Amino acid sequence: MRVDAVSIAFGARTVLDGVTADFPAGSRTIVFGPSGSGKSTLLDVLSGVVPHSVTATMRGRAAVGAIDTAETTVVELARTVGALAQDPDAQLCMVDVDAEVAFGLENHGVARGDMDARITAALEVVDAAGLRGRGIHSLSGGQRQRVALAAVLASEPGVLLLDEPTSMLDADGVIAVRAALDAAVAATGATTVLVEHRLDDLADAGAMPERALVLDDAGGVAATGSTAEVLADHAARLREGGCWLPLDAELHAITGASGGLEAAANRAFLDALPHAAPGAAHILGPVVLEARGLSAGIAEPVLDDVTLDLHAGEVVLLLGRNGAGKSTLLRTLAGLQRPLGGAVTGDGPRRAVAMVFQNPEHQFVGRTVAGEIAHGLDAASPGSGKRARRREDIVAPPRVERALRAHRLGHVRESSPYRLSGGEKRRLSLAAMLVHDRPVLIADEPTFGLDRRDALQAARLLRGTADDGRAVLAASHDLRSLAAVADRAIVLDEGRIVRDDDLVDVLRDGALLRRAGVRVPRLIEHLLTRRRSTAELHAALGAYDRMPSR
Amino acid sequence: MSAGSPTDLRRHLVGPLARRNPSVKLALLFAVSLALLFVFDVPTLAALYVVAVAAVLAARAVPVRTLALGHVPFLAFALGLFVANTLTRPGTVLWQVGLLRITQEGLVIGLALALRTLATGVLSIAFIVSTDPVALMTSAHQHLRLDVRVSSALLAGYRMLQTIGAEWQTIRAAHLVRAPIGRDGMPRLGLSGHIAAAGALLIGSLRRGERIARALEQRGLGLSPRTVWRPVALTARDALFAAGVLSALAAVLVASALTGSLTGPGALFGAG
Repeated sequence: MRVDAVSIAFGARTVLDGVTADFPAGSRTIVFGPSGSGKSTLLDVLSGVVPHSVTATMRGRAAVGAIDTAETTVVELARTVGALAQDPDAQLCMVDVDAEVAFGLENHGVARGDMDARITAALEVVDAAGLRGRGIHSLSGGQRQRVALAAVLASEPGVLLLDEPTSMLDADGVIAVRAALDAAVAATGATTVLVEHRLDDLADAGAMPERALVLDDAGGVAATGSTAEVLADHAARLREGGCWLPLDAELHAITGASGGLEAAANRAFLDALPHAAPGAAHILGPVVLEARGLSAGIAEPVLDDVTLDLHAGEVVLLLGRNGAGKSTLLRTLAGLQRPLGGAVTGDGPRRAVAMVFQNPEHQFVGRTVAGEIAHGLDAASPGSGKRARRREDIVAPPRVERALRAHRLGHVRESSPYRLSGGEKRRLSLAAMLVHDRPVLIADEPTFGLDRRDALQAARLLRGTADDGRAVLAASHDLRSLAAVADRAIVLDEGRIVRDDDLVDVLRDGALLRRAGVRVPRLIEHLLTRRRSTAELHAALGAYDRMPSR
Repeated sequence: MSAGSPTDLRRHLVGPLARRNPSVKLALLFAVSLALLFVFDVPTLAALYVVAVAAVLAARAVPVRTLALGHVPFLAFALGLFVANTLTRPGTVLWQVGLLRITQEGLVIGLALALRTLATGVLSIAFIVSTDPVALMTSAHQHLRLDVRVSSALLAGYRMLQTIGAEWQTIRAAHLVRAPIGRDGMPRLGLSGHIAAAGALLIGSLRRGERIARALEQRGLGLSPRTVWRPVALTARDALFAAGVLSALAAVLVASALTGSLTGPGALFGAG
């Protein structure tokens, strides 16, 4: 497989710029680069989606074997190319597992007599043979993604294109799907191209492909070659560009020493990180939200006897696997869902809780960024009617202006919220909530899908919000970003709180976290061996993340 | 999830009706509904409704509870038809207060239309509950010559519907955060809020639809030759079944014509 001087433009916007790369038969390549560098577009070029299904101008040539992708339809290319998308729900199109895997086999004209054996074989490769006969609707995210992979594998593609296949899963799902991918590649010998932005997680799992292709902000090739060499030569630039790097590469970018945590120089560097940030004693304020004996759910309870307090000035992290009840707890605390039992009491009769959702787009209502921030401001103050709402359409009140400035959204104030970058959408969703001055901010996966720069920024924003005297509760799988700002952690397992404690104490409880499906990144694990308190962990992680690359 | 959710429905895919060819069932449903369009008298439609319910229950095609719950939307529609006809249709006035008046013609036509809705409803419920969507689409492709790209897209759409409920709950919650508080202390979206939330759902669904369409192509939909994993059988029993249903319909209509109660569309114009 080969792309030769490929440039892609969507209208006036150039996404790929003169990309040339070889993908030898049977090789495994990882494609990475900052957000918006055209990684997914490159996969679309290889599968023929660009230029066949998406309107785009393409220059250069891409070939799969001897087939020119520009001259062959996506459907014909499917004879050789299998693709797995980020969201299993955008890939699965049948009602049950068996029909789903059979669908590809039918399309490829596999003889009926061979199908049952091939369905079983494909499901076995991804360790999902036990799911035969199940409805897709009843599967977890990780199970769905494995079924989607099996469905692709069943038709035995020579090329496998994987677009962030684990980004929507929790720790358990990530591990299972990564194992399935490894098994798939080993079983089929397919040429694999993987797009992934959390290289830190990927490397922690020991699953790095041997070849790397790095794209830069402009959509050009920044580096290509063996993954080890590329990371060694370009780690510093990639880190500054906002990429999540494997720990070893990141340490190399900072200290210049290779060998990761094994290297004495790196260990010395981590030990020398500050143990206390100057003037950073967080003062815990009064309780602003309390839940007592809460049970909640839509029809049957998914939360059972949950009791917790949130204080002004603290950031609390909510941990647990998908389906443990995190979202239900957040929505019940935010007063969006009526509890089945128990009570949530807040700060007086005014609404106490603001909330941001995993997908910022879910909450957008405004036509413009400024309108989005202004939305609902009048509803918060009693006695103002329709006239007030109209006035705000014309002139944004000063607090909207202040919010635009504070969250660096002034330059896009008249843009549609849907047209922003991932980081900007997250900042907008937070800005639109914080402008309401509610004493509690609840965030569901606030760093989801963000690159390193944007994720750390979002985490710092949560810290700032707490330091301004509010309580922050964030549910997240991204310990790497949020451990630097959270004071306390609550672990939820099967609808019950199994631990509610100081962050470092929870992070040290390895057995409990494993049971609850939470994985601690290696960097944090290492820091915990030398840091006693949460404040010390904050100081070290904060300094580490601010440390310039060489 | 209510008793009407797709996963629950699939538990009932047993019994004689579930084994019949889906295309045959669909065609029969269509034929019977079409025939009922020309029947306008209460006794005939009542008899057809009773026969339909009895047949569906006797074949154990649908549990009684599901059949009862499934009646709700049809009953609501039937009631609407009945009330509208009773109050608006001209004819012999039976009762009048101010502008409200009830006519005999209105009462009869309203009742007939309501019964027709219920009869069609019972058969539709039996069809939906006893039919596996994948088998329906396979059979539509095999026996009704429906393009496989259309049948696959329909199935993908059906799957998308399964996820849309959860998506709506999330979007609704996201919009409630900034909605005004109602009297009971819970936030209220109101009409404009619901429109905005529906807009967000629409945008999300369109995007997902686009991605699914792409995935269907990437999975080779449209390659030929194509094979079928589990072809749906079309047997002599299906022919017998069709003959049985059509004879039952004919029997009721003939009996009703013989007793003189059968009335056609002429009833609408007062000629019957």
